[in-house]
Amino acid sequence: MKNFLFALLAAACTLSANAQDKGYITGSLESNDYIYQDDVKSGALAGDDKFGSNSYLKLDYYQGKFSAGMQIEGYLPRAIGYPGELSGINLSNIYATWTDDAFSVTAGTFYDQFGSGLLFRSWEERALGLNNAIVGARVTYNYEDIVSFKALWGLPRFGMGVFTNNTQRENTVTNTETQVRGADLSFAISNLAHWSNVFLSVEGSVLSRYEPISNDLVDEGGKPTTFGYSARANFESNGFFAKAEYVSAGKKYFQNPDYTSDKLFLQKNGNAQLVEFGYNGKGLGVTVTGRRLEWMNSQIISGNVSTSNLMNYVPAMCTQYTYMLTTFHPYSPQTGLVLPSFINSGEVGGQIDAFYNFRRGTALGGKRGLKVHANFSTYYAIANDNLLFRDFSFDVEKQWTKKFKSILLYSLQQYNDSYGAEADYMTQNIVVADLLYKWTPTFSTKLELQYLQTKQDKRDWMAALLEVNFAPHWSIYASDMFNHGATKVHYYNAGVSYNKSRTRVAIAYGRYKSGFICSGGVCRTIPAYTGASVTITTSF
Amino acid sequence: MKKILLAIALMVSTVAFAQVPSVTVENAKGETVSTKSLLEDGKPVIVSFWSTTCKPCIMELDAIYDALPDWLEEADFKVAAVATDDSRMLAKAKSFAAGRGWSEDFVLLFDKNKDFMRAMNVSLVPHVFVLDGAGKIVYSHTSYSPGSELELLEAIKKCSK
Repeated sequence: MKNFLFALLAAACTLSANAQDKGYITGSLESNDYIYQDDVKSGALAGDDKFGSNSYLKLDYYQGKFSAGMQIEGYLPRAIGYPGELSGINLSNIYATWTDDAFSVTAGTFYDQFGSGLLFRSWEERALGLNNAIVGARVTYNYEDIVSFKALWGLPRFGMGVFTNNTQRENTVTNTETQVRGADLSFAISNLAHWSNVFLSVEGSVLSRYEPISNDLVDEGGKPTTFGYSARANFESNGFFAKAEYVSAGKKYFQNPDYTSDKLFLQKNGNAQLVEFGYNGKGLGVTVTGRRLEWMNSQIISGNVSTSNLMNYVPAMCTQYTYMLTTFHPYSPQTGLVLPSFINSGEVGGQIDAFYNFRRGTALGGKRGLKVHANFSTYYAIANDNLLFRDFSFDVEKQWTKKFKSILLYSLQQYNDSYGAEADYMTQNIVVADLLYKWTPTFSTKLELQYLQTKQDKRDWMAALLEVNFAPHWSIYASDMFNHGATKVHYYNAGVSYNKSRTRVAIAYGRYKSGFICSGGVCRTIPAYTGASVTITTSF
Repeated sequence: MKKILLAIALMVSTVAFAQVPSVTVENAKGETVSTKSLLEDGKPVIVSFWSTTCKPCIMELDAIYDALPDWLEEADFKVAAVATDDSRMLAKAKSFAAGRGWSEDFVLLFDKNKDFMRAMNVSLVPHVFVLDGAGKIVYSHTSYSPGSELELLEAIKKCSK
């Protein structure tokens, strides 16, 4: 397949080079390099290499309706905290696509998702070391704005992907025998009926997943091929919207933790229900989400514990924070847990988000308006109704003068660190003041002051960040997080970045605490590290 | 590796000006639309990739939103805000944009599996492009510091000439 794709790509490029319209190339390069050092204070270890380097080169060629491209990834060696199966340098993606007005055909690597992704999603999240691109084929077809259909087949990428050599395969878990086949249909009823103020669509997907299984599992009635489906409806009218999704994710097999049982495996049925509704109007936006999950962890390789071993998308439906002290205990959804002492099928919960803009000239809005936002999220374990996570937050953003803007945030977070096995949870109160002052049209400073109060864990923290911006090119920052409640350790950090056109170069040095890196509601744990980093991103 | 380099060499030998690729995204209603629809009226367009968790993106779009009435006196163009939030944040991104008032003045597009972002080779948000009326990329910039938006108006004025 590899040679075939190369031949296809080369042939296409040669053909197009001879044509009058030569098409164009676009691409991007990202390089993240780290130098680590041992740090007694934080317990960080530099590792054997004392160095980490993750790089990505992506190239795409477009010529009329034809496009083709590739991605090369290098982990030389991988940065601390990245999944262990990422190693060496390799061609990770290669594809060719024909996109016509009504249809498209793709051969090679592609990303896609059905509905919200609960049944199936393939995507790339470099911050997480996650790339489960499908290597195979996909066709899509649209009939006007009424029907959209797609069908796909392929092998999900795990680790360095399918284009690995033998040495790489021996050294790491790189490839799987897992295959997926799926189809997705969306039908816009309102567009067929020419309703002018209402949008209504119904959608459905099916997915089959194949993975070889052990004889023991076959003996207990397990099957290598499992089926899942989802049914969805979307509605929108004059700003009101509603969305519902039901997912059956098919059979899931788990090792039975009860050794006294005569069954070696537990067989469960994955299912999820998702409802979203709300209103978006002038200066007002409200969204309510409710979700229930049971056994929704769809893996590429059954039983492998890597954070990149995912074939569907079950994000944490709550606020994703970016301020330093607000991110200590991000929520990870419970998609089914089998432990000797505790079996929990999943979670149930929801959130409400409200955004409002007090307009200019109103009593609260003043001369320049006032923006407010509040969120409440809460989730419970299905097995015992124990609280898993709860967060109440609100933030107020005010442009006081042409030069000065402030954001104030309060968050009350409650977090269960036993995945729901115990009823106890941690409670923390966090306040943040984010102050921006524009001295001249292109020179500005930003000051963040943060405080975290808790009687548990490592008790209280405080943090500050100062950023100085010289638009459009330079930005410098320094920050410190200080745990004055228990460890008395400072987590300092400073950096500078330079941007020009589509290129950004950033250098930073600091002490980073162990914790989580989250992107799009999926988190991976990272160990503490201390050191310097250089990040270069460019595109062309 | 040799084959890879050969393929790259072949590709690079055919360089021309980058344009907006045809990719499907969602509009505010939830309908599927092609990115080519941005070019239908032949006006230059500022395309800004943002997400609800990206503070500088929000600052940049707010700055454009505040400056828009003045800018429109100097040139005729439109602004497309492309949310790169995935399905977790999609509904929230719509409410967020409504709460900021953007839905009145911007074309809102939602790129829930980052297909448009990938096709435009955007690795980091914020990332802003200025397209002339034919869809040719005449300016682009990654990251945002207060004041960077002034370059956008200059780029728009150049394509209006």
